[in-house]
Amino acid sequence: MSPAAALTSKRHTVGGDLADAIEFCHAQGWTDGLPVVPPTADRVTAMLEAARLDPAEEIAYIAHRAVSITAEKVAINAVMAGCKPEYMPVVIAGIEGIADPLWSYHGPGTSTAGAAVLMVVNGPIARELDVNQGDNLFGPGWRANLTIGRAVRLVMRNVCGSRPGTLDRGTLGHPGKLSYVIAENEAESPWPPLHVERGFRRDQSAVTVMGAEAPHQFYNQLSNTAEGVLTTLCDDMRISGNVMGQPQYVLVLAGEHMRTIARDGWSKADVRRFVFEHTRNSHAHLKQTHRMAGAVLPGDETRLRPLVESPDDILVVAAGGQAGAFSAYIPGWGSKRSSQAVTKEVKR
Amino acid sequence: MIEILDPTCEPGPQAIAYAPRPAALRGKRIGLVENTKFNSDRLLEKVGDILKVEYGAAETRLWRKRNASVPAHEEIIEELRQTCDVMVAGIGD
Repeated sequence: MSPAAALTSKRHTVGGDLADAIEFCHAQGWTDGLPVVPPTADRVTAMLEAARLDPAEEIAYIAHRAVSITAEKVAINAVMAGCKPEYMPVVIAGIEGIADPLWSYHGPGTSTAGAAVLMVVNGPIARELDVNQGDNLFGPGWRANLTIGRAVRLVMRNVCGSRPGTLDRGTLGHPGKLSYVIAENEAESPWPPLHVERGFRRDQSAVTVMGAEAPHQFYNQLSNTAEGVLTTLCDDMRISGNVMGQPQYVLVLAGEHMRTIARDGWSKADVRRFVFEHTRNSHAHLKQTHRMAGAVLPGDETRLRPLVESPDDILVVAAGGQAGAFSAYIPGWGSKRSSQAVTKEVKR
Repeated sequence: MIEILDPTCEPGPQAIAYAPRPAALRGKRIGLVENTKFNSDRLLEKVGDILKVEYGAAETRLWRKRNASVPAHEEIIEELRQTCDVMVAGIGD
């Protein structure tokens, strides 16, 4: 049997040219609003072959949705997203991540709080595929960044049923729900990369997924110390995200700030500890600003609630342009209790 | 003419069995399962009170899920099965 003949998805014959096929995909409700590459059998087969996957292989089972995600469906959606075949193993790792019980699909896949799937790609594959880790980190310009995340989101839409307006009920959503993929600047970072901190070897490739709000950029163009830069960060970050829910956070430290912090000899663990200590809020402030229920009680001014459960819930990533004294923090969706960041190896 | 593949999930037919509905709630034991969001417990307790006062339900008992994003865990389902005739699940926000 030819590889294309092994594909079992329903086939649609569309008259006309390529533009008509793109319009057909829009009309079926298969797209995120942007044009897609029509998923022909040869393109889908190339995607599967690049990851050495059998079309019927189950990549993940989403228990909350009772949905089995097969390699064939991932490949079709990856073609539509505009992925090159060699991106497929990264897409697969992302799908494995969001299907992990710790990520807990039903919350971030449906919630009014509008979670996107932040994906951090680490290891050699990030360089091989030119996943951007530098200038315009979250912005346009890199095919791998924009299509890998788009493929994961199209799987969520088309296979898992997370369609905006029906199962995906994001009140606001955000642009990261189109694609939200970054790599880490492993070549210049003074620190162990994220995937190494999370149990992988430096020569392995891995994807970390986190249900996430939009990135919040902060400025510090004044200080030349780690403590100065991070003090500004903490002041920006202290009231952010679901402040009472204690979600996880990603910190993205870009070139100038990365070098300033590293020059002072601070490790990622030092950054985590400092940020944990300096983002706590008093119960009095949380009550006065109507985040915590109840009247302000004696002692509430000095009773502190951490923004995250533990310093380890702050994931530190070195990435972003070399110039510019800006970095970013990204609140995770909801709460750590409801969804956690998950790291999966990219298998090749 | 272009032939393209369908990207959507094409689930086969699934049989969903509903538990038989009681004809009346008089004397029935009511299980309440709240999803941990603000006031979901208060909302369900209010529902429980109405079922007792207006419909003659015998008693209510409240369970709490682990978090709002997951189905009720196995222990809840098992205890419900053992001790209740009817259950009400609710969301609060």
